[in-house]
Amino acid sequence: MQTLREFTRKTKRGNILKIVREHYLRDDIGCGSDLCQQCFQNEVYQLTSQHEIQCSLFKFPHYIVLDTNVVLDQIDVLEEDVLHNVIVLTTVLNEVKHKSSSIYKRFNELVHDRTRNFYVFVNEHHKDTYADREPDETANDRNDRAIRVATKWYDDHLQASQSSKEFEHSGRAATRVILLTDDAGNRAKAEAEGILVASASEYVKSLDDFPLLVDKLSRNTFENEKKGLPQYPAHLSMKELLEGLRNKKLLQGAFQASRENYLEGSVNVEDYEKEILIQGRESLNRAVDGDLVAVELLPENEWSAPSEIVLEEKNVYADDVPSEERAADEKDMLKQVQTAAASAERTPTGRIVGIVRRKWRQYCGILQPSLVEDTNRHIFVPADRKIPRIRIETRQAAMLQNQRIIVTIDTWPRNSRYPHGHFVRSLGPLGNMATENEVILLEHDVPHCKFSEEVLSFLPKLPWIITEEDYAKRVDLRDLYICSVDPPGCTDIDDALHCRELPNGNLEVGVHIADVSHFIRPGNALDKEASARGTTVYLVGKRIDMVPELLSSNLCSLVGGVERFAFSCVWEVDQEANILAKRFHKSVIKSKKAMTYEEAQVIIDDPMQQNEIAKSLRHLNRLAKILKKRRMDNGALVLASPEIRFQVDSETHEPLEVEAKQMRETNSMVEEFMLLANITVADHIASEFSECAVLRRHPRPPPTKFDPLVKAARYQGYQVDIESGLELSHSLDKCVKEDNPYFNTMIRILTTRCMMQAVYFISGSLQKEEFFHYGLAAPIYTHFTSPIRRYSDIMVHRLLAASIGADSTYAELLDRKANEEICHNLNYRHKMAQYAGRASVALNTHLFFRGKEEDEEGYVLFVRKNALQVLIPKYGLEGTLYLKSDKDGKSGLERTKSEVVFTFNEEDYTQRCGNVVFHSFDPVTVRLSLDSSNVQHEKLVFRLVKPYIKGFSVELNTEDAADAAPPSKKTKKDKKKK
Amino acid sequence: MAYVALSDAEKTFILHGVEEDFRCDGRSRRDYRPMELETGLVSNASGSARLRLANTDILVGVKTEIEVPDPLTPEFGKLEFFVDCSANATPEFEGRGGSDLAQELVLSLQNAYESPLAFDYRTLCLIPGQQCWKLYIDILILECGGNLHDAVSLAAKAALFNTKLPRVTATLLDAGITDLIISDNPYDCTRIGIDTVPLLVTVCKIGDFCLVDPSAEEEVCSTVSMVVSVSMRNGEAFLSGTHLTGGGAMHRDTMRNCLQLGLSIGEHLDTLLAKMLRQEQERVGPKRPKTVGFLK
Repeated sequence: MQTLREFTRKTKRGNILKIVREHYLRDDIGCGSDLCQQCFQNEVYQLTSQHEIQCSLFKFPHYIVLDTNVVLDQIDVLEEDVLHNVIVLTTVLNEVKHKSSSIYKRFNELVHDRTRNFYVFVNEHHKDTYADREPDETANDRNDRAIRVATKWYDDHLQASQSSKEFEHSGRAATRVILLTDDAGNRAKAEAEGILVASASEYVKSLDDFPLLVDKLSRNTFENEKKGLPQYPAHLSMKELLEGLRNKKLLQGAFQASRENYLEGSVNVEDYEKEILIQGRESLNRAVDGDLVAVELLPENEWSAPSEIVLEEKNVYADDVPSEERAADEKDMLKQVQTAAASAERTPTGRIVGIVRRKWRQYCGILQPSLVEDTNRHIFVPADRKIPRIRIETRQAAMLQNQRIIVTIDTWPRNSRYPHGHFVRSLGPLGNMATENEVILLEHDVPHCKFSEEVLSFLPKLPWIITEEDYAKRVDLRDLYICSVDPPGCTDIDDALHCRELPNGNLEVGVHIADVSHFIRPGNALDKEASARGTTVYLVGKRIDMVPELLSSNLCSLVGGVERFAFSCVWEVDQEANILAKRFHKSVIKSKKAMTYEEAQVIIDDPMQQNEIAKSLRHLNRLAKILKKRRMDNGALVLASPEIRFQVDSETHEPLEVEAKQMRETNSMVEEFMLLANITVADHIASEFSECAVLRRHPRPPPTKFDPLVKAARYQGYQVDIESGLELSHSLDKCVKEDNPYFNTMIRILTTRCMMQAVYFISGSLQKEEFFHYGLAAPIYTHFTSPIRRYSDIMVHRLLAASIGADSTYAELLDRKANEEICHNLNYRHKMAQYAGRASVALNTHLFFRGKEEDEEGYVLFVRKNALQVLIPKYGLEGTLYLKSDKDGKSGLERTKSEVVFTFNEEDYTQRCGNVVFHSFDPVTVRLSLDSSNVQHEKLVFRLVKPYIKGFSVELNTEDAADAAPPSKKTKKDKKKK
Repeated sequence: MAYVALSDAEKTFILHGVEEDFRCDGRSRRDYRPMELETGLVSNASGSARLRLANTDILVGVKTEIEVPDPLTPEFGKLEFFVDCSANATPEFEGRGGSDLAQELVLSLQNAYESPLAFDYRTLCLIPGQQCWKLYIDILILECGGNLHDAVSLAAKAALFNTKLPRVTATLLDAGITDLIISDNPYDCTRIGIDTVPLLVTVCKIGDFCLVDPSAEEEVCSTVSMVVSVSMRNGEAFLSGTHLTGGGAMHRDTMRNCLQLGLSIGEHLDTLLAKMLRQEQERVGPKRPKTVGFLK
C-alpha cells in the first residue's frame, strides 16, 4: 500500500515548493510482544512478560507508550534501569530527533540496549496505525493523534491475542497498554478515546519499588512557586528575536559568564571588535554560560566598564523569597560596579533580551546544606563558578550531602531567582580522589571511558615480535648508543637520542621518536578514538591515555634494552652545531638506557664516566647549549609559569608533599633537540605538502594584551618593550631587582599570561607569514616528538612517512577540510587537557592544606579593587586576599562597621591602609589554611600576616593559628574586637 | 496536425452527413462527443486535470513559483502555458514534429487569456511590485482524436480550478522589504477564481455548414475553422479572442454565424463544466482524491 505525504517548503531563494514524498504502508510489521500469536515476528521479542513492575496506578501487567514530551523532559528517568517493556513509536523517535539531537542520541542508546526491552514500533509505516494529516490539524496535533491511534491499536491488538480460551485458563491478568504523556490536551483526548493514560510524574510516583526515581523527574514547575513575582524581564519570542536579529536591532553571540563576578558577563558578537559587557542580574536575564543569546546594546551614555571587583554569591536558601535586604545589597554592589566604571574606559554594554539557543549541559557540584530540616527543595552549587546555583528537589538530600553529584537544568522561569533542575546521578563521596578526578574530567569534557572492544581489537596481537620483513624495511640502528631521558616514573617514553662522532670530525645527532603510526592505521576505530581524544591528559597521580596502555606503555614506549620501532630524524652537524645534512627514516632501535633527568645529569657531571653513553650525553649537552643561545639571540622568549609537583601517596592518592618543579640542564638538553626535530620536520612537511601539512603556530599577541604587563612594570620603574619578540626578551632580561630575586620570575609569569594560545592549523589555510611561532621565534613549527600522547604528532608522522615513501598515502591524509576539523578538535582537547591538569593541581593543593595552616612568603601579583592577588612561589599557588571583608558579612551595613578601611588608588594601582601601601610585586607573608566551615565547599583562605595591619592581619604567634576550630576570618576578627 | 488518410468517398460521406445534420457517430452539428474529466490526479503538481474527449486525451498540470511582477503591471501575477505534444499521441510528433501544433495551441491560449477581464491576474499578486505567483500550466497531449483546442482549454480551466496555492503571509522587514512566511498546514491554501476563465470552441466549416467538436476525420474534410474563445462574465458570454485555422477563407455571414454558434456553445459548455467541477469537489472534500484514471 502506498500513500503520499505533501508539504510545502520555502527554498533559500525565496521560492515556495510543493514537495511530495511517497510513503509506503506495510502489513508485516510485528508488534514485538511475546503474547501475540498473529503478528509476523522476525526478531527476538522485545516486549516480554518477564519484567512486571509494581505500580499502584495500574495494577496489571502493562506496556508503556511514551509521548514525545516525556522522552524530551524525562530522559534521566528513562535512563534508570527501571522502566521495561516500553513501546517506542517512530513518530516519537522522529520528533525527539528533530527537537534535540543530544537527547535523541541518549534515547537511541536506550533503545539499542536489549536488556531494557524498548521496542521500536514503526507505526508510521503500519497500515493500521498510519495517521494521515487532517485538514485544520497542526503537525503537532497530527503526531499526538498518531500516538493515540498506535496506543489504541496496540491495546486492541493485545486484547485480541489474549482473548483465547487457553489464555483465560492460565489465570493471568491481561496485559494492557498505557500511554504516558505530560500534554494535557493529548491526555484529555486519549481518555475520551478510552486509552489508559497517566502523566510521567504520576506514573513514576506510583512505582512503589523505586521511590528515589522521583528525584530524577524533570522539574518544570515547582509547587508554591507560581505565585512568585517575576524577577526577570520576559524574554522576547523566537519570532521577535529572529526579526530583531535580521534587521540588526539585536546582536547574537555566545554568552560568557565572568568567573570572578557573578553579576557580570560578556557576549562575543561576530563583527564586533570588543566583547559586549553585560552587567547586573536583570541585564543578564537568566543567561547561563555558553548560551547563544540575543543582546540589545544600551545607549552609549549608559555604557560601563568591567568591574575590578571580585564578587561571589552569598549563601542562598532553597525557598528564598526575594528579600528586600538582598535586593538592596545587590543594588549596592551594582552601584559599586557602575561608579567604578565612570572613570575607567567604557566598553559597549548591553542587556540580554532573549535566548537563541540554550547550551545547557550536565553540571557537577554539590548540594548546599539546607537550613530547614526535612525539606525536599535544595540548592545545588556547581563546581564551575560561571554557572549559577540550581534549584532541585530531592528526597535523598541527607545521603547526597557529602557527595559530588550531577544535576541538569530543566527550566528557568521568570519568577525564580535560580534555574530549576533535577538530580541525575552521584559521582561518589566528597574529597575522594576518584570522585574528584571524575568531576575534573567531566567538567572539562575529557573523554575518559574505557577503550571499547572494537578499539582494542585493532591492537597488535601479543606476543608481538619483529619479523624479518620489518628489519628489511627499516634502518637498523640497534648498535647505536641510543638512550632516553625523561622525568622519573615516566612509562610512555616517546623520544630517545644519540650522538656519535663521525670519522670526518663532525657529529651525528639522532632523535628517535616512537613509531606510533605503525600501530595505529588511519581510519580504523583505534585511530578514530585517538583522534577524538586528541591528547593524553595528565592529572596529579593519574593519566588518561590517548591510546590503549599496551601501546602507550609497552609497544610504543622506547624502554631501555628492548627493540622498538622508531621514526628517526638524523642530522650531521659540525662542532658549532651548524646543520650540514639531515635525513628521516623509519628504524629499529634498542635504547641502551632509559634515564631520568637527574641520572643523566649525574653522568654528565661525573668525569669518571667515560663510556659511550656519557660521551654522547656530553656532546648533546654542549650542542644544546649552543642551540639554545642561538635561539635566544633570535628572540625566543623565556617564559615562566609556576609549576609544581606533588608527591602522591601510592595508596590513598593523597598528596604528601608539594615542590616546585626543578629545571636541570638535561631538561633543557632534551627540549632543545625536540625543538630542533620539530622545526626540521615542520620545514620538511610544509615544503612537501604545501596545502595540507599539520603545523603549529603561536600568533603574536595584539599590543593591548600587554597592557597589564607594561603598566605593572612601569610602576616599578621598568620599561618593557613589546615591539618584537627579541626586544621583549631583552627588556625582560633587564627587569631584575636586587632586593627581590623573584621579581624577574613574576614579570615572566605576567608575560606568559599576555600570550595567545598556540594552535594547530593546516598549512593551506593561512599565509606563510602567519605560520610564525612567536614564543619560540621560529618561522615554522609543528609537533613531531610525542606521538604517544598527542594525535597531532601522529598526523605529522603520517605526512612525513608518506613524503619519504616509508608509508602509503590515503585520501584523508590530503583532505584539507577533514584535517582542519581534526585540528579544531585537537586545539579544543589540548586546551581542555591543560585546564583539567591545572584543576587537578588546584584540587591537590586543597587536599594538601587540609588540617594544615602555614605561613608562607608570597608576592602581590595584582592589586584589585577589593582584593590582592597573591602568588606563593613555593607552591606555585595563586589566591585572593580579600581586603574588604564582605566575604561572610551578612549585609552592607555591617561591613562598613569594620574599622579597617583600605583605599584603592586607581592611578598607580595601590591599596593603602594607614601607612601600609600595597604595590604589585610587594612581598607579603600570608597564612594559608583550608576553610572547612562549609564541608561541601572547601576553600583555601589567605590571610595577611606581614605587613601587620591592626584589626586585619592575623597574629604571628602560632598558638592562635593552631586554634583548630573552623578558622573563618570573621570569627577571628570578632574575637579581637572583644 | 495529426493526419488521417481518407478517400474521396469517405469525405463525401462525411460531407453529406453534415448536410443532413446527422454525423458519422450520430451527433448533430451542435453536439459534443462524451467527455471524461478527472482533477487532482498529479500529486506533485499544485493543480491538475485530465480530460478525455472521445479519443483526445489531455493531461494538464499547474506548477507555481514566486516571481517579481513586471514593472508595467505591478499588480499582476503571471501565467505561462507550455504544450507538449507527446509522441505517444501520434508518431508524427516524434522529435520536433509536434512543435508547430504546440506553438499554435500556446498562442491561442495566450490570446484567450490575455485580457485581464478574462483572467483576473490580480488574484496572483502577493505584494504589488514585489512578489507574485507565476503559474506554469503544462499541457501534455497524450492522444489526438480531433478538437484539441477545446479539449486543452477545458482541461486547463479544470486544472486551474483544482490549483491550490499555499497560504502566504508577509512580514515587513526594514526598508520596506517584505518576507513571505508559508503556512505549515498543507491544507491551508487559497484557490483561484475561474468564473471568467475562457474556453475555446472550435467551429469547423464543412461544406456550407458549421459544426462543433470535429472528430479527426471531420477535421480533414474541413477547409477552415474558427477558434472562438468565450469568457463568461455576470452570466453573459463574451468573446475574448478568435483566430482562424486551416487554409480556407470565410465569408462575413459565415463568420458571424460561427461566432454566434461559438458563443452559445461556449456558454453552455462553461456552465456544464462549472457544475461538474463543483460536484466533484463536494464529493471529494478537502482531502486528496483517490485517483481513478491511468495514473492510479
